[in-house]
Amino acid sequence: MAKIIVVTSGKGGVGKTTTSASFATGLAARGHKTAVIDFDVGLRNLDLIMGVERRVVFDFVNVINGEATLKQALIKDKQLDTLYILAASQTRDKDALTQEGVERVLNELAQSFEYIICDSPAGIEKGAFMAMYFADEALVVTNPEVSSVRDSDRVLGILSSKSRKSEGGDGKVREHLVLTRYNPARVAKGEMLSVDDVKEILAIPLLGVIPESQSVLTSSNAGVPVIREENSDAGLAYQDLVARFVGEERTHRFLAAPRKGLLGKLFGSQ
Amino acid sequence: MNRPRPALELKGRMLPVTRLRVLRDEAEAIRAQLQALAQQMPQAVAGMPVVIDADAATDLRALLAAVREVGMQPLAVGEGPLAQMARILRVAVVSADTGKPAAERPPAAGAGRAVKPDLPPASRVGTRIVTQPVRSGQQIYAEGGDLVVLAAVSAGAEVIADGCIHVYGRLAGRALAGARGDETARVFCRKLDAELIAIAGIYAVSEQINDGPRGVSAQAYLQDGRLMIELHQV
Repeated sequence: MAKIIVVTSGKGGVGKTTTSASFATGLAARGHKTAVIDFDVGLRNLDLIMGVERRVVFDFVNVINGEATLKQALIKDKQLDTLYILAASQTRDKDALTQEGVERVLNELAQSFEYIICDSPAGIEKGAFMAMYFADEALVVTNPEVSSVRDSDRVLGILSSKSRKSEGGDGKVREHLVLTRYNPARVAKGEMLSVDDVKEILAIPLLGVIPESQSVLTSSNAGVPVIREENSDAGLAYQDLVARFVGEERTHRFLAAPRKGLLGKLFGSQ
Repeated sequence: MNRPRPALELKGRMLPVTRLRVLRDEAEAIRAQLQALAQQMPQAVAGMPVVIDADAATDLRALLAAVREVGMQPLAVGEGPLAQMARILRVAVVSADTGKPAAERPPAAGAGRAVKPDLPPASRVGTRIVTQPVRSGQQIYAEGGDLVVLAAVSAGAEVIADGCIHVYGRLAGRALAGARGDETARVFCRKLDAELIAIAGIYAVSEQINDGPRGVSAQAYLQDGRLMIELHQV
């Protein structure tokens, strides 16, 4: 039975697409057959971050409208033969997503995939609603700042009341907190909310904390999901996150500021 | 050998009874309201067994006649201002709240005043209990009763009750108790960070609560029409 997982946040620019790309890549690298769908119709980005933007022929909306088959539209990853990407349409808008159409595509994917990752657009309008409606589980991506946390709280409320699971009465969507752009040094100075602050407000289990890192930007620009960067904090944090998701025990890393050596103390900035 | 069949047996059974409460001693208004009720739901009213309670003394004879006129069946009168007259008219008297027979005691002068006249007129409705967090953008209304939230109420969420509100998590959203004007309603919470607290329409926003308790166990209530928000210690 395929698991449908939505990556959502409410607020834009917090790292949904980065998380979707790395999460899907991580699951696929562990041998799970995984599809990742970009629901951000009109503002598609996932194909860029996955490095497949030059191979998009058909997209999600084409499949919904019956203009292409799912097989034609799925783009196979070059490194991992267990990873497939379904790009969003750049020329249409969110109204092109119909509930019946989305359900049909997800049902078809569920026959051959283990995990289906839905990369939600920002906001709580139709695109975001479609991405979360069919979800079994949700990764709620949040930055350690108040507006992002409040928007995530709103999204959690919608997940608990307006998803297929809650409407059908068969349990609730399993929620996971992913805290991105975490900067322990700024937390220590009181400029950012701490992990504990965010956990207290949102009251859902913490799946992973991704430290703020230069490598996220550089790898996005290079079209390589940051989880493939073995030497970056963010990449390692995403590997931990995927491991925890599939049930392995991993302690949370990168929660404290790195201690400066003597030279760092003497010559380092504040 | 055949035992003689008993002539009667006693069984404890529950009978749904409507308690009819007289709020004002105005025979005409009472009669008009009964007639209107009978017109609205004739089937419910016909034969409806009622126990009569009263906040103030009124002419029981006329009241019984008005009640019977619309087809209700008055079974008894609740202990209170009408009890003395009821005993004279040989109408059963039951205790004011539980429906058990009132204790036998000689009706002393003024005994009928024992019932507190300031009881809220609405009949009691079950408390609404919420076990999940109340998230930003959600609104929960406990109509006619109290609201108990076992988790947190987030910023941007709204909890409303006609009675009291109890929040066992952090209260960071808006809490409005006594929404239909009950000034005795209160708000209790384990950790007060509310955006707004209101009781019976008297409110304070976060900025006004600033000088008061923050992040601690607190309660809010009305005193002489003023909203009091204070640390709650046991």
